[in-house]
Amino acid sequence: MTPLDHGAVAGESFPDADGVASGSPTGSRSRRDKTTDLETAIDRYVPDGASVAFGGMGGRDPEAAAREIVRQGKSGLTVLDDARTTLFDIMVGAGCVDRYVGSWVGTSLISQGHNVRNAVENDVPHHLEMRDVSNFGSSLMFLAGAMDVPFVPTRSMLETDIPEHNPDIEVVEDPLGSGDDLALVPAATPDVAVIHVQRADRLGNAQIWGNVVNDHLKARAADHVVVTCEEVVPTETIQRHPELTKIPFYAVDAVVEVPFGSHPWHCYGYYYADLPFYREYGQRSRDREDFLDWLDEWVVPHDEYLERVGADRLATLEQMEAQINDLPPVDGGEEGSR
Amino acid sequence: MTSRQRPEAVDGTRTPETLSGADIDYPVDVDRPHETAEDYSLTELLAVSAAHEIENGELAFIGVGMSLISGILAKHTRSPDCQLVTESGYVGSRPPGVVQSISDTVLGVDALFASNQFQIFTDNQRGLFDVGIIGAGQIDRYGNTNSTVVTGSDGTYDHPKVRLPGSGGSNDIMTSCGRSVVMMRQDERAFTTDLDYRTAPGHLDGGDARERAGFRGDGPSAVITDMAIFRFDDDGEMVLSATHPGVDVDDVRAEVQWDLQVADDVSTTPEPTRGELAVLRAIDPTDTVLRGSDYIYEVGFEEWSERVMEQWKTFQDTQ
Repeated sequence: MTPLDHGAVAGESFPDADGVASGSPTGSRSRRDKTTDLETAIDRYVPDGASVAFGGMGGRDPEAAAREIVRQGKSGLTVLDDARTTLFDIMVGAGCVDRYVGSWVGTSLISQGHNVRNAVENDVPHHLEMRDVSNFGSSLMFLAGAMDVPFVPTRSMLETDIPEHNPDIEVVEDPLGSGDDLALVPAATPDVAVIHVQRADRLGNAQIWGNVVNDHLKARAADHVVVTCEEVVPTETIQRHPELTKIPFYAVDAVVEVPFGSHPWHCYGYYYADLPFYREYGQRSRDREDFLDWLDEWVVPHDEYLERVGADRLATLEQMEAQINDLPPVDGGEEGSR
Repeated sequence: MTSRQRPEAVDGTRTPETLSGADIDYPVDVDRPHETAEDYSLTELLAVSAAHEIENGELAFIGVGMSLISGILAKHTRSPDCQLVTESGYVGSRPPGVVQSISDTVLGVDALFASNQFQIFTDNQRGLFDVGIIGAGQIDRYGNTNSTVVTGSDGTYDHPKVRLPGSGGSNDIMTSCGRSVVMMRQDERAFTTDLDYRTAPGHLDGGDARERAGFRGDGPSAVITDMAIFRFDDDGEMVLSATHPGVDVDDVRAEVQWDLQVADDVSTTPEPTRGELAVLRAIDPTDTVLRGSDYIYEVGFEEWSERVMEQWKTFQDTQ
């Protein structure tokens, strides 16, 4: 059994801004200014053939970063993940992804993942190899990666076909003698994790409100981490609420400010999901030609994307979120809810 | 197995009773809320039936779509003290409306706990949750389910006829949650003697198979379809328990591949009350889940956002 590090660039070192080779996570992740732009971050940390994990899950997904991966024409990617919605379907349809290890693929309540189905069933644009795990299995593969151990055991997935068709999962009898069978979930160590958060400082201290899904584990399991955020804030702002830092600077390589970086999904405390937008994606991704038109229309630099969505529409999504969730004041009210 | 016993209440507190009839306090304005509804859709009947599977005070592990709307309905009607658990990390939410996705920010509303997926499934494996509701594409007589691939006659796992979304949390819930409820379409191809792929464990091959496998959860306790409700006998085999109004036992038999067991006292599924229906329609004003119309596929952005915010406000005013 080998760790799920299927990327072509496993073990390769990336030169970092400070010139420190970063085959090992330490060194490059020192306290330095890690801010960069989206194009540079994706170009540097997501080479062709890389294994990638994405943050969020039908909420706080790094959609802008994924569109940038498509825009740069990346190929041969392995996506090591949990449940994936639109960003994965778009990348698959655009031909960026060869392989997926994870627990669930679709797009939303009101649409299927048409591109994923087309790739698996009909090899369009090319075959997508699937390796299933359960949701707990996906959490545990990142836990094992984050712990730097080969596997973590669980009772999930026993007596089913998941281990039958995912040869990386082994079922063993408890070596400590309880007599119970256990499924061993191998470590996932993606080349890079791309995670969108509400805010981060220049050093990479990433703060998340609301649910975290598996992001804290993905960040530690990955060799490199790109954090995109709604806002880059001063380190003093982070220090006032250190309990919100779910991914600390020493696990982060790059920080990119990407407002509305999760659109059309939600970002807790910032904006609500744009259902009519992803509904349109679901409708237009049914047909290959329509999908390619959608790509032409929407896979553009992020500032242009936001212009096309429209300032009024984005403001309405902010207003919707403000009606249901306020971020707690962070500075005695001085900085308001943001 | 002493290390795996569920912690028991030590202070003698009792679980609150599930409400019925006039004891239910519906949070919407509706005349004669406790009377049977005059007209309702099939999806509304399903949502209400699933809500009836959640008892008051229970921790209910639910996913997106019908199961979440059922959970929200239960919380606003018969089981006000149930707590909703979602795999993305929220516990105790009181969403003011339908949930579009598993990290929908409406799940942050009134949540008691905003955590992460690892923690939620760790707690699930520890046996801390009472009931889970899942969906599936295929099921067999012992309640084992498939939500991964339909291979058809010449397909394979790698090249299936239909690639379904995959396990999500269904495997973990069916393995470890106290009991599970499966919601799915009644169809002869889906109620099969031979699953194309076993995604989640039901009663395996019956008898004490789950116990031998070391599973903490009791497995599926009910299957709710668009025609009927099934329970399981002591051997873990599915038994037809109730048919929906207007559906005959033979109609159901025709949509099952095996020789279906039928309860002696097979009943008719209770119809929704006017109150239940009013709550359901109030929490899904854009018809996103109930889908009695094509509205959600046609509504424009402005109208959609206005209706959602208006409905949230109505709900928030009743809190």
